[in-house]
Order: sequence, then C-alpha cells, then structure tokens
Amino acid sequence: MQDHLPPGIAMVKSENLEEWQMDIKVLDTNPLYLDQTYRLKFTFSNKYPIEPPEVQFIQCAESTGTPRSIPIHPHIYSNGIICLDLLGSSGWSPVQNVESICMSLQSMLTANTRDERPIGDQEFVATNRRRIRDINFVYEDDNV
Amino acid sequence: MDTPSDISDPTQWLETPLSLLAPLESALRCQVCKEFFNNPVITSCCHTFCSICIRRCLSAEGKCPACRAPDQELKLRRNWAVQELVDAFQTARPSVLDFSTKAAQQAQVEEREQPVNKKRKVAPVEDMQTSEPRPERRRTRSQGHYPQPEQHAAIDTVPEVIEDSQDEDEYIPEHGLVACPICNRKMKEEAVFSHLNVHEESPKKAPPNSSFGPLRAPQKGLVLSGKPPERIPAINYSILKENALRKKLSDLGIPNWGPKQLLHKRHTEWMNLWNANCDSKIPKSKRELLQELDIWERTQGGLATGPSPFVSSSNVMRKDFDAKEWSSSHDDDFKRLIANARKKAGAKIAPATETAPTPPEPLVNSSLAEPNIDTDADHVIDLSG
Repeated sequence: MQDHLPPGIAMVKSENLEEWQMDIKVLDTNPLYLDQTYRLKFTFSNKYPIEPPEVQFIQCAESTGTPRSIPIHPHIYSNGIICLDLLGSSGWSPVQNVESICMSLQSMLTANTRDERPIGDQEFVATNRRRIRDINFVYEDDNV
Repeated sequence: MDTPSDISDPTQWLETPLSLLAPLESALRCQVCKEFFNNPVITSCCHTFCSICIRRCLSAEGKCPACRAPDQELKLRRNWAVQELVDAFQTARPSVLDFSTKAAQQAQVEEREQPVNKKRKVAPVEDMQTSEPRPERRRTRSQGHYPQPEQHAAIDTVPEVIEDSQDEDEYIPEHGLVACPICNRKMKEEAVFSHLNVHEESPKKAPPNSSFGPLRAPQKGLVLSGKPPERIPAINYSILKENALRKKLSDLGIPNWGPKQLLHKRHTEWMNLWNANCDSKIPKSKRELLQELDIWERTQGGLATGPSPFVSSSNVMRKDFDAKEWSSSHDDDFKRLIANARKKAGAKIAPATETAPTPPEPLVNSSLAEPNIDTDADHVIDLSG
C-alpha cells in the first residue's frame, strides 16, 4: 500500500493495527505550509471502522532526524488536536480510510489562508482531557 | 512490499502490465471492510456492502456509510450478481496475477538485457491508462519491441488462461460443491439426493435451461434455494427489562452474562451475524456463528481487553478516558456497591458512602465518585497527570 499512496502522503509507522503514523505535505505554494511536512498519529479502536480513528498532529523533535511541528490553522489546536467533522462521530463514515483522511487534511490545510490558532486555544490545550471524538466541536465554518 | 503474501490487495496489480485490474478489484471489495464482498446486499440507496458490514453500520448509526441516507436493515436485499462476480474474480485471481507478475518480471529481465529501449517499462502502463485498454494492440507492440522467444512464450499463454476459465464445462465456483443433475444448482455432495426429491415432486418447476449455459446455473439455483433460516427480529432494548433481555439471550442459545448494556450489544451482534448468515448462499451452522460471537466477545464484548467499556482495565487513568461512558456502563456496579456499603456500614455512615462508593477498581480520584456522576463529562473528569 505504501508504494501507491497519493502524492504528499507517506506511511511512517504501521507495525500494528492500533497506532499508525503518516507524514503529509501540502503540495501547492500556500506560504503557510510551504516545504513543510507534518506528522499525523492515527489511533484505532477495536470498533474501527464503525467508529472513527483518533487522528491528531504530533510534534517530533529535531533530534529524531525528522523534525515535525503542528501546522498553524484556525481548526488545529496547538496540541495537535484537529477540529474536523470527518473525525467526529457525526461526520465519520466507515467508508473513510487512512488515505482519505490524509487527503482531507491536505485539502483542509491547502485551503487555509489564516495564520492563526482556534479561538480559546490556550485554554483548550490546558484543560481538555476528553477523548478526541467526544469533543463537541461546532462545525460552523464551512469555508476552512 | 512487506505485505504478507496471503493478504490480497488491489494494488498488487499496479506493478504488473494489468494495472487496470486494480480499480476492478477495488470495485469488488466492500468499502467498509475492504475485503471482497461477502454475501453482498444492496441498500435502498443502491449501495452494496457485505451483509454483516452494513448490518453493523446500521445498528450503530442507521445510515448508509456511503451516502448517509437513512436506511433499515429490513430493506436490505441480496445482490447475487455481485456475489457471482466476486466468486468468479476470486477464482481467476491467483492465476491471472501469477501470469501478470511473471510477465512483469520478464519485462524487467529483458530490460536489463537490452537497456537501449527506455520506453519499455513505462509503455504497458501508459498504454493501459491513457488509451483504450486493448491488449491486442499492446501485445503487437511488445512483440515488435522484443522479439525474443521468451516473450513470445509469455504472450502465447494469454489465450490459454482465458480458455481455461471459459471452456470448462464443469465450472465450479465453490470448492467441494457438486451440481444437481437436473437443475445444475451447486450444493454439497451429500445434499444432492435429498434435493432430487424436489424435482420429483414438481418436475416442471425446474426445467434445465441450457440456453444460458452452465455459468448461469448458480444464479438460478440461488433463486430457487429452499426456505431460508428465519431471521431474528430487532428488539427495542429500552422497553425491555434486563431479566427479559437475559431470558431472550438464553432462548437464542447465546451467553447471557454481564450487565444490560453488554447483553444489548451481544444481542445486536448476534442478530447481525445471524441475519447476515441468512443472506448467505451457503449458510454456516449455528456452531460456527457461535464461534464468531465468541471472537466478538473476546475482542469487543465482555472479555475484551483494552479500551472496552465493559472491562475493568487501566484505561481509566488515560487522559482521554471517557468518564461518561464509564459511569453509565458501570452504573449498576456503582449502585450495587453503594447498596452493599450501606448495608455493611449501617445508617450512621451512609451519607459518607454515598459520596465515596467503592469502585470496581482503584481508579478514583474522588471527583469521579461524586453524586453528580451523571452530569456532563466536563465537570466530572479531573484525571490530569
């Protein structure tokens, strides 16, 4: 499968069926993400694909050889948690897969022009302890 | 590729001259489980899934996974044509893939021998993807490009492979099945004699229809297949008391231990397994289904380890621990423990036990045990650190 992924998507880790890591790149010239690679962590429950996987961006230190940061985006919190309806219980569908999620995130980044974090980022990062899929995001903004 | 060879994958075609078979194979696979369709059924919105996959989806969400249209499992209808396509494709797959892989390897070997022609490696794929896929044309071209005898040999085997599957009179899609001599329906060998009685009783109902050829026979048989096993109806779990549900499970012959929520999940899974089996051409025995339920029990049910709401495990300390789900799934436990504690301690200490029931394991963090346990998870959890 890793040989045939769409451009800008690479498999980093998939030894087991609980956690995968993928690298994604934005392919156009959006200055916010130019020449950057971002690392995604997928956590699958034993109910996948009936339930969505938990997906978040993760940071990697310079020392790992593959430094990765959290992309700036009004729907991505600075701890890597992503506000995307696709990843919540309501927007998820079992026909989605790792590849389709990666492509959705690529396009979510590509389409963004705002160099900012979500409103209330600091507070959310400091206090959130809920499972990602249980967070009741309000998906009011269809433009991003 | 580090994919084990026993796992088939549509991308296996991409490395071969038959790369156009990758989308064909993808189309023959269920979008939910990504396996070849197993007892495919069609929804009211005309999407096809494995019977068990769509049943599990509908009992979880009541919507088609492909288009989100609401649907009910009662409206699912078998899609035999797709089953036949899958059976035939799977029968042909190993030999076609083998042939195609060998052709690709041969092309590579030849390329090494004759490094002048750089176009060769790309050519088959280009041909297949940009122009109409006409194998004849490609063959002619490649013959022109590599006139080596080995290449001729490989090419000459093409019609042979096709012949194998087309000209065989006794086409048998499933191993171990034999055809009824009258209606050509495939069945287990031991079932043939009892099946013949059907024709004796109503000899005109199943006239052999040779105009369609033997390949059409399975479908005819499918339509005629005897009375299917009875389906298990859905239950409204909310109006059923725990004991009634427990009785229902034992009537069905499945395990009936555990809290009500687990009984509910187990019944749903059993109903899905059972009803999906009713869609099968060759239904499994109840014992096999019970084994499948047992696998479910160990992976997602009451015997599951890891993040299952039914099982005590260390996941309560995880930062993403779902206190709401936990408290609802253990509601009975909490109540029972509170009752026990009250009994033992007597009325004097009762108020204290109310705020600190003994949880099933040392998870708590008093905040979780507070009486407001049923309120929103935000207020309840403080398991940081």
